[in-house]
Amino acid sequence: MKFRLPASFNRAKLLLTLFLFIFSLTVFSQSRTVTGTVKDEQGQPVTGASVVVKGTGTGTATNAEGRFSISVPANGSLQISVVGYEAQELAVNGRTSIDFALKQSTQAMANVVVVAYGTSTRRTTTGAVQSVNAKELQDIPVAQVTQKLQGRLAGVQILQTTGRLGEGMSVRIRGQASISAGNQPLYVVDGFPITGDLSTLNPDEIETITVLKDAASTSLYGSRASNGVVIVTTKRARSGQATVGVNAFYGVQQIPSRGVPNVMDAREFTQYQRELLIENVVPATAAGYAAYKAKVDYFNNIDLNTIGEGTNWFKMITRTAPIQNYSVTLSAGRDKFSTSAVLGFFNQEGVLINSNYKRFSARLNSDYRFSDKLRIGVNLAPVFSVTTGRPTDGGPFTSGSLFTSAIVSSPLAPAINPDGSLPVTAAHPGSLPNPNWYRVAVEADATTKNSRLLSNAFLEYEAVKGLTLKTSINAEVGQRLFNNYVPSTSAAVNQAVPRASGDLTVNNNQFFSWLSENTAAYKKVVGGHNFDVLGGYTVQKFRSDVSNVAATNYPNDVVRTLSAATTFTPASDIQEWSLLSYIGRASYNYKGKYLLTASIRRDGSSRFGSDNKWGNFPSVSAGWIISDENFMAHVKAVSLLKLRSSYGETGNNNIGNYTYYANVSSVNSGNTNNYVFNNTLAPGNMVSTLANSTLGWEKTKQFDFGVDVGLLGSRLSFSYDFYTKTTDGLLFNVPVPTYTGFSNFQANIGKLKFWGHEFVVSSQNLVNKFRWNTDFNISFNKNNVEQLGTANASLGGGTDRNITRVGQPIGMLWGYVFEGVYANQADYDKSPKFQTSKVGSAKMRDVNGNGVITVDDRTIIGNPNPDFIFGITNTFMYKNFDLSIVASGSYGNDIMNTALEYTNNLDGVFNVTKDVANRWKSEQNPGNGRYPSTLAGTTGLFRNANTTWVTDGSFLTIKNITLGYNLPLRNKQTFKNIRLYSSVQQALVFTKYQGSNPEVNTGGENPLAQGLDQGAYPVPRTFTFGVNVGF
Amino acid sequence: MKIKILIAGLALTTFASCKKDFLDIAPETFISSNNFFKTQNDFTQAVNATYAPLRNVYNSAYIMGEMRSDNTHYIYNNTNRGNLVREEIADFIDNPTAEPVATKWTFNYRIIAYANEVLARIDAATFDENVKKNLKGQELFLRSLAYFDLVQYFGDVPLVLTPTAGSADEIIGVRSTLARTPKAEVYAQIIKDAKEAATLLPNKAAQEKGRATSGAAQTLLGNVYVVLKQWADAETALRAVVNSTQYSLLSDYAAFFVPSNKNNAESVFEVQYQQGNLGLQSSFAYVFMPNLTNLSPITGFTFNNQNTGGWNIPSENILAAYATGDKRKGASIADGYTVNSAFVAQPYVKKYLHLPLPAPNGSSPNTDENWPVYRYAEVLLFLAEALNEQGKSNQALPYLNLVRDRAFGAGAATITTTDQVQLRDIILNERRFELAFENKRWLDLVRTGKAVPVMSAYGAALKTSGKYPNLVSSTYNVTANRLLFPIPFNEILVDPKLIQNPGY
Repeated sequence: MKFRLPASFNRAKLLLTLFLFIFSLTVFSQSRTVTGTVKDEQGQPVTGASVVVKGTGTGTATNAEGRFSISVPANGSLQISVVGYEAQELAVNGRTSIDFALKQSTQAMANVVVVAYGTSTRRTTTGAVQSVNAKELQDIPVAQVTQKLQGRLAGVQILQTTGRLGEGMSVRIRGQASISAGNQPLYVVDGFPITGDLSTLNPDEIETITVLKDAASTSLYGSRASNGVVIVTTKRARSGQATVGVNAFYGVQQIPSRGVPNVMDAREFTQYQRELLIENVVPATAAGYAAYKAKVDYFNNIDLNTIGEGTNWFKMITRTAPIQNYSVTLSAGRDKFSTSAVLGFFNQEGVLINSNYKRFSARLNSDYRFSDKLRIGVNLAPVFSVTTGRPTDGGPFTSGSLFTSAIVSSPLAPAINPDGSLPVTAAHPGSLPNPNWYRVAVEADATTKNSRLLSNAFLEYEAVKGLTLKTSINAEVGQRLFNNYVPSTSAAVNQAVPRASGDLTVNNNQFFSWLSENTAAYKKVVGGHNFDVLGGYTVQKFRSDVSNVAATNYPNDVVRTLSAATTFTPASDIQEWSLLSYIGRASYNYKGKYLLTASIRRDGSSRFGSDNKWGNFPSVSAGWIISDENFMAHVKAVSLLKLRSSYGETGNNNIGNYTYYANVSSVNSGNTNNYVFNNTLAPGNMVSTLANSTLGWEKTKQFDFGVDVGLLGSRLSFSYDFYTKTTDGLLFNVPVPTYTGFSNFQANIGKLKFWGHEFVVSSQNLVNKFRWNTDFNISFNKNNVEQLGTANASLGGGTDRNITRVGQPIGMLWGYVFEGVYANQADYDKSPKFQTSKVGSAKMRDVNGNGVITVDDRTIIGNPNPDFIFGITNTFMYKNFDLSIVASGSYGNDIMNTALEYTNNLDGVFNVTKDVANRWKSEQNPGNGRYPSTLAGTTGLFRNANTTWVTDGSFLTIKNITLGYNLPLRNKQTFKNIRLYSSVQQALVFTKYQGSNPEVNTGGENPLAQGLDQGAYPVPRTFTFGVNVGF
Repeated sequence: MKIKILIAGLALTTFASCKKDFLDIAPETFISSNNFFKTQNDFTQAVNATYAPLRNVYNSAYIMGEMRSDNTHYIYNNTNRGNLVREEIADFIDNPTAEPVATKWTFNYRIIAYANEVLARIDAATFDENVKKNLKGQELFLRSLAYFDLVQYFGDVPLVLTPTAGSADEIIGVRSTLARTPKAEVYAQIIKDAKEAATLLPNKAAQEKGRATSGAAQTLLGNVYVVLKQWADAETALRAVVNSTQYSLLSDYAAFFVPSNKNNAESVFEVQYQQGNLGLQSSFAYVFMPNLTNLSPITGFTFNNQNTGGWNIPSENILAAYATGDKRKGASIADGYTVNSAFVAQPYVKKYLHLPLPAPNGSSPNTDENWPVYRYAEVLLFLAEALNEQGKSNQALPYLNLVRDRAFGAGAATITTTDQVQLRDIILNERRFELAFENKRWLDLVRTGKAVPVMSAYGAALKTSGKYPNLVSSTYNVTANRLLFPIPFNEILVDPKLIQNPGY
């Protein structure tokens, strides 16, 4: 398969080469020179620090010994800045030699923090903002930056719900939820709200990641801000910098044995099937008897002494697999022109056979300073990824499922014949039709090719002192090409195999999004009064064109292209939206002590109903730095004490692009409206959705109160936030009675309330030769459903596994309360019964106390919302060694293992967990009370969601342990630094949950279907060895 | 200076693109109601669409119409328990979450809503008045038919006659909080609609095949009056059908159901299906065949019917009840099939099975057979019943014997009794065999007051036979409450004003 990189990629390389060439020729020589060294608090030289003459563009960088040399006017000042340290400025005052001692800035409150449409300082920010420097995440050997953030951010729940390559990360900020408009935060990369998430971004391109949590910090993103905002800033070269860095790691991934479903082996399975035949009555009908006889013959012919373990389907389809990553970063900056380039290649083989993820990425960020007043920047970031691998997650009856389906297949069926050929089926007499899952995995032919080009260009001009005008054009072009050939030998459980023909799905999704932003910012200081005003307008438009062709009736599985098929079902979809916005922000502070900010965004969206096109999203916030007051001056231990509070309104506009229209269609909820007259197709068209001209965004009103404390010269810092927010006007597919002609109606109705507490503690426990830092965060996020659709009707319930009802948290687990089995006739006689109950069958609790068990006896049997989530990172440094341990966890949430519907199925159609052997077999042999009898006709009730499926899902995962060693380099001419490290990702999982991944969530982003585990691609443990080299 | 101009220029360009219509993006892949309902073609397509939900209603109508009765049962499917609710309906242990019950409710109301949409808009449109009358007549017929199905199975149901529209508050607060309308009012509307449809619609000869006709509307009206026991009105409506000379009995009973013979002279109204993969195909043949993992003994090709078939299996009761010489038994029921030259005695309904079958769509069935809603034979039996109930038993006999002559051969089993009570039973019995597996039996038992005794006895017989070990003691506890089906669970959930039928 050939692919083309975007043309700009080659241009970028060329430009970079050219630039480096010119740069190397340049020699600094000035008449009046200041020299000096830059060192850190431990006296170690700081390499690559930017040294700039204040007020000019002139600058240089420190060398490997931390030395610099620069020409400065005698009355000038030098500014020193470098990542990870606080910036410093010193007047030259005629000196020719100046030494700087930089303070490390990891704990510092004064450093720059990225906010919406600009930057601010930690100290004067009045919103709830948390940022992470990408450097801290460098060693974590994973594909996606979101994985690296696990455990780092307070109030942000990041879960890896599946091990599927390049996928599966779910991010929820402050527990935000929506019934149907998604929970995913808005991702803004270099000022550009992108389509989708960060999964395709090479983490090595990132400089910082900032999470905006409260309304004051997010409201400038208006109708897209309710789920919080994640701002990513990519690496730019600083003036005077010239570095080349290489990061590389190689590792091995394996599936931990814990949590692999413990199903019966061949011997146990045979025994179980034989017993099952005895426990059931011999069928009376001729057809029934024939099937029964076939089963008896099959299982009685198996020799228990020689059959052994049989096929372990899970082992057959999994493997130990390598993972590798290489990235090269080049940064070069002169006074007028600076550029940074990052090239990356990531390759992960899946622990599922025949699955792979590869990513090629590049980024070129360049700045050109025409003068002190005018700056132009261009960023280009192409990325291309290929994912190989068929769908794997979910339950057996869906065609996507692989893991759960394979696990419940008969261990008696061989995966590979003695002659090396592959059987087509793994069925046994009495089972459902079933393909050979090993063959399905081996012959799977599914690839997804993603290409994306993110680009920004901006022009910044300081018209008069303090007034900066900025205009930018941003564009994102992407394509996702999904090609999935499912051979005739592949099928879902309960589908006859081989199928008459294979089938192919080709899905091509191309999208284009552009954004034009124009802002004016004005800063003014009058005495102690600091004013900072921002105004602007932005225009964004998105369009995607999707075509999908499903092709079938292939003569064979050899030629798999579209042209070989004879039946085609084409479909296409076009989605567009536009957004027109005005933004404004005014900040005022008095002596940096009393802080006030107000901001507003006005959004007009094509998505909003014709009578409701515009929305306003205001916020206000205030802060007071008490520690700067005179009366605090004598409290030396307290370096910072700050109170802040904010209130504002934000929206969620993920309501679909054409939702407010009444759709006239030839299809209504999957049923064609066409009919037949006189043996000829007669086209039918009809209104299939209800119009809503007042349809709008979901509104979230949020209040936040926070305290920031720095103690002992900021060795210990502490932040606390309390928030409460209400999301109103939820986009709701309001279920309406079907006598209206519709089953639902898209409307803004329903209200959710969220509140919580977040604590962040950073401590430099030891600061001498042996350094030890601890970062700890914990968040208590709570929610309550205040109002739902028509008559507050609950969502889910009935035969669903979750229920969302007023007065309860969202998405509670729903089912029967299992009370054991009717152990004997006496027990049966005195207990309430289900229609199909018999002695030995499952005994559920009569919740409504009416003496019989019915569907109405289902109740809430678990809460998937955690009491709290937490993360803790410990870093240790001694001489040239460094060690970090990252852990994250969740406490108090329940998980419903819905895969038990299959692995605890008592009909004999599936393989089951080993402990099913302890089921009720007779009154004399009633088993352990956990498993009912296999008597046909009585087993259905036990296949319904019940308390045996629910367990505490609390977990503590040691996400990453990394040990690094900096090679002591005598001569730093060639190499500035070489660091070797080794790490274990997903090192240990402590949980009571029996399934493999306590972060699992089959329902994905849907908060109404949380906490379910239908089986998913396992998350492997990864051992890696890596190296960082700086030239 | 240049820079300032550049910035101003850039700013202007983006500003220019922000015209007012920048925020109006019309969907490109579907039509919205703003630009539909204008032309004759639009309305014709809308009327066509109103027929479409009939497929959904009739695809599963056998479950509540036949399996609930003494005509059919099911093959206990130990492998796939996914359709348990069908068994529960057959065995009188169903509950409000049963999907076939929701299907009947939802899709009948979809027909009603579609009809309401057209009826509310059609008068304002300008096109050929005759076409308009025809279209309106079809919508009124379909709405009437849908309400009639609902009222017979559920009793009181909300009576909705205008399309749902308005502000969000109105839709959620007003249009979604209706209570059940008393049965009598619903019947009044059914009669009004059917009568109006009869006057607006052309007769069968003048109508496109498959569309509702004046004869179909009159038959529906007759059926309504029969259920309401307004025998004189029934007679008038049914006589209009007979006197229209548009209909006659086919000489061969089985010929009616053959796909090549759709919409024949005996056909009053049938649901139209067409083989293929466009969602227009039927599947009755497969659903009613046994649930074999390989259907080839019957169909001649490999097909796994495990998840599809085994339903609507003729009961031993009906097998035994056919009179000797009744050709309809052989035309309707197959005795079994042969595997490896061994005959397996597993009866199944073959009325809708005509070999060779078209190729299935992968693992999904695909057949061409239509579903009969009203046949002329039923018109004759209705008329006979209406006459007998009015004491005109001697007038009823010719119509009854017309049907029997075809079934047994001319004059072979002529009925001569004019005893009203005897004749009542004979006609009901005749309906059972003539209309077997056409979803008439359960409603016949209910409207004649026989459902409780007949089904209780039937259930007791099944249990004592020992052949149905899955029947637990709670099954076939047939009470008056079970004559109506429950309002679907989800409907009550969203509209608490819908009070559940007693006993559920």
